Amino acid sequence: MDVYAALQAVINGLLTGALYALIGMGLALIFGVMRIVNFAHGAFMMLGMYVTYVLFTRTGISPYALFIVTGTILFAFGYVVYFALMRPIHGQSDFMQILLTLGVGLICTDAVQLIFGADYHQINIPLQDTNFRIGPNISVNAPWVVSFGIACVLALALYLFVMRTMTGRAARAIAQNRYAAPLMGINVFRVQAISFAVGSAAAGIAGALLLPVFYLYPGVGDQFTLKAFVMVVLGGMESIVGAALAGLVLGVVENLTSLYWGNEWALAVDFAIFVLVLSLKPSGIFGRQTV
Amino acid sequence: MVKRPAFYLALLLCGMFTVPACAGSRQDAGEVLRIGVITSLTGSAAAFGQAHKNGYTIALDELNAAGGVMGKKIDLVYYDDQSRPDQAVQGVNKLVDQDGVPIILGAYSSENTRAIVPAVTQKSIPLVMPTATADNVLETGSPWVFRICAGSSAYAAATLDFLKAMDAPKSMAIVYENTNFGQSNADAMDKAARAAGFDVVDSEAYQASSPDYKALLQRVKARNPAIIYFASYLLDASTLMRQASQTNLNPQYYTSAGTGFAAAEFPTRDKGAGPYAEYTFSVSQWLPTARWKGSKEFDDAFFKLTGTHPAYHAMQAYAALLTATAAIRQANSAEPAAIRDALKAINLPETPFGPIKFDEHGQNPHQVLITQVLEGQYKVVYPPEAAETKPVVPTPPWDTRRAK
Amino acid sequence: MRRAHWLAAVAAVVLSLLVPLVVQTDYKLQVLFRIYLFASLGLAWNLVGGYAGQLSLGHAAYFGAGAYGLALFSGTLGMSPWLAVLAGVAGAMACALLIGGVSFRLRGPYFALSTIAFAEILRLTAKNLPGLTGGDVGVPVPALFHGNINRSFYWAAVALAALSFALTVVISRAKFGYYLMAIREDEDTALSVGIGAARNKLAALLISAALTALAGALYASIFLFIVPDQVLALDVSNEIAIVAMLGGAGTVLGPIVGSVVLETASEIFKNTFKEAHQLIFGVLLVFVVLFLPGGIVGTIAGLLRRSDIPGEGA
Repeated sequence: MDVYAALQAVINGLLTGALYALIGMGLALIFGVMRIVNFAHGAFMMLGMYVTYVLFTRTGISPYALFIVTGTILFAFGYVVYFALMRPIHGQSDFMQILLTLGVGLICTDAVQLIFGADYHQINIPLQDTNFRIGPNISVNAPWVVSFGIACVLALALYLFVMRTMTGRAARAIAQNRYAAPLMGINVFRVQAISFAVGSAAAGIAGALLLPVFYLYPGVGDQFTLKAFVMVVLGGMESIVGAALAGLVLGVVENLTSLYWGNEWALAVDFAIFVLVLSLKPSGIFGRQTV
Repeated sequence: MVKRPAFYLALLLCGMFTVPACAGSRQDAGEVLRIGVITSLTGSAAAFGQAHKNGYTIALDELNAAGGVMGKKIDLVYYDDQSRPDQAVQGVNKLVDQDGVPIILGAYSSENTRAIVPAVTQKSIPLVMPTATADNVLETGSPWVFRICAGSSAYAAATLDFLKAMDAPKSMAIVYENTNFGQSNADAMDKAARAAGFDVVDSEAYQASSPDYKALLQRVKARNPAIIYFASYLLDASTLMRQASQTNLNPQYYTSAGTGFAAAEFPTRDKGAGPYAEYTFSVSQWLPTARWKGSKEFDDAFFKLTGTHPAYHAMQAYAALLTATAAIRQANSAEPAAIRDALKAINLPETPFGPIKFDEHGQNPHQVLITQVLEGQYKVVYPPEAAETKPVVPTPPWDTRRAK
Repeated sequence: MRRAHWLAAVAAVVLSLLVPLVVQTDYKLQVLFRIYLFASLGLAWNLVGGYAGQLSLGHAAYFGAGAYGLALFSGTLGMSPWLAVLAGVAGAMACALLIGGVSFRLRGPYFALSTIAFAEILRLTAKNLPGLTGGDVGVPVPALFHGNINRSFYWAAVALAALSFALTVVISRAKFGYYLMAIREDEDTALSVGIGAARNKLAALLISAALTALAGALYASIFLFIVPDQVLALDVSNEIAIVAMLGGAGTVLGPIVGSVVLETASEIFKNTFKEAHQLIFGVLLVFVVLFLPGGIVGTIAGLLRRSDIPGEGA
């Protein structure tokens, strides 16, 4: 295989990686501020896909515009879930919090199956058949380019939120030291609620952007939950930027593995890198020592 | 202090006795004949389990309307194996021990079906398999199991016969999902192709339900095969064909082991690959347009029940129940051993699924057809005596199609 | 005090062994088999997760090692089944050395994620190397017992549960157990008083892995056939951890109670709620977390302690 095949794989990897990045950034925010291994993260992405699907079939508006609505709905949903379920167990052990998110994930997945059925759904938009050529050897599929663009803008927005806004700074403070933060006058519960809501919204939006290029079924989120974990660790636990870069890296690595070794090993390679990074540099490739 | 652990243990023991003791009632020699069904109503195969259930329901209604069997109404007792093999085995035990069924139909997937073979053998209960295609489901040689559908070796053989009849160039790439379905079909085709003098230039396994297969398709393209043989479910079949167009992969023949490539929705825009499905070949166990008596009526009944057209899984479930009741009727007994003997000897020349008769391994030598998607419809193109039309070969390259 | 406990425990084991006199159907025996097996699994997990406080969500790796050990060592290498079981246990302990060696350097959720990653790597390897492991098509497993197999497997599960229970009791009262609990409560302080954290955590994991592998071999043998997703999936790891956490991690009886409740609830839900059973299960999990924070045993113990005479410790 020539260098163009490799280049094509890298480009496709970056396009996929952008969506991964969005999911990972959401989880990084949640993890940093709440220290929860959120097993329901993929389920929220799935909910975002279903919400977008319903809105698209009712109104015919493109998912590339609807994602804003999806994000808002998932934000509200995340906020409610936080106050109803997570806040009451605030002081408890990590175990119990993980158990809770597992339960929430199961409820979401099965509820969706009961309402929509187990069958697959997909949507069709004209953009799916459009491909851009870069030179004679490389081509990219239009919907992926659009979602890449949107994901980049949102990643930037998320970064600015975390770096520049008061809530974002408060979130970082809690991530650095959650015992000192309230002493500084930070309303931990409110910031956590917002972080959880924003993280869930990010996952939901990733789902909305994935809808035109993928399929919809109740279990679609499961594979993304694990990948999100990998990204968060690779990127350094609380680092939003780290998670985003890790998402891109993951996308590229998966594609190169597919190209040179075999698609069936891509997921295993994800985990192998994960383990390698954990054993050699536990603070993550891009992270600082805050373990 | 002394009391507490004793208290707990007592609680535990009570629990262990009462809980399994409750639930379930034995088969009463009354007005109903119960038949057990194991299928995947939840879990990853839920959509197919539902197809099974629809097929069973249509058969059940027809049979009961015609008077049931042995003067009794038939009642189906379902057990959901949650798409997990260990649950399927639990289902066998529950259906036989608690519900007293004399025969079981199922499961859906090959691994679940293979998993329950030792259990039904040990309990001496006949099993009729509607959809499991992996070759290993019959490997134990158990005298209690019977398979209605054709298996993966039959798929490979039919496809190779077709390719030889077309004088196709003998280089093939196999692309399959790394699950039971994919691996068993890839294995069957690999062996059969080599034995038939074909050169298997590439064998690619993939992780199912991935959004992006372009790198994999790039690899296949580099080997330049004349034929590609897919073993995929619908989701991936559509993604693969769409991305094959984007990768500009142009073999002369796109062939497949059915399932995704034979799904009713596959050629549709809404739920499948739409125009990207055109010209693909697939093995087929059954189509709504099949020439067997009752096929069209089943299609109509299914459409009336669900609003969609059936894939062959539903028909296989229907045929399984039909066969089971025919055997019970022939044995004129609800004893498992008698039913098993009746199944061994059964000969149903005209069912909507074609003729049904089991060989000494329990396999029904069901005819495998080759279909091609032409103008958005499945058309049987091989063998010649069943063909509706001539196949279109070689497959036109993607650029010429895009010009449309 | 202690003798009364031991008497009660022995009585429970004896009564359990006598159950097949009353319960004869395969279905019920298999449900009971599952309950006792998951009780053993929960108890084994409890050593690492409950006492040492390390949340392992990758115990399927050891379960699968035991299962595949039995299948592959007896199949390809032609060992007799029970020897193959021992080989599987050895294999699981080797995995534990590797996994623990890497993962125990991490704390809390990082550790959990690391264990998940290792288990997934094992699962994907088993799936993608059909030549070695049968891949997803599966591999047959020899029968460890003949004759009335359901009864024999049930007894084996009772024996394993009794062994795990006994080990847990012994460890929880020995210095080793206190070291583990110290590590759980505050690893840095434990280190500062000279408790070798890595050594002790690894020891707990090795014992845990051995017991888990034994359970895996039994499980594989009763089905006579396994595929990777049955024994190496994340679902299996989650179920093991949930059994212990639901019942009460860090308590001796917790995993047993957890297994009884979880497995019977699962079976009842499946038959009653059909398609909605996962939903109900999720609700159950959420309910337990919100209202029974110490797990079932932990909460009951807490309630009873409040009504106890002061001075009588648990």
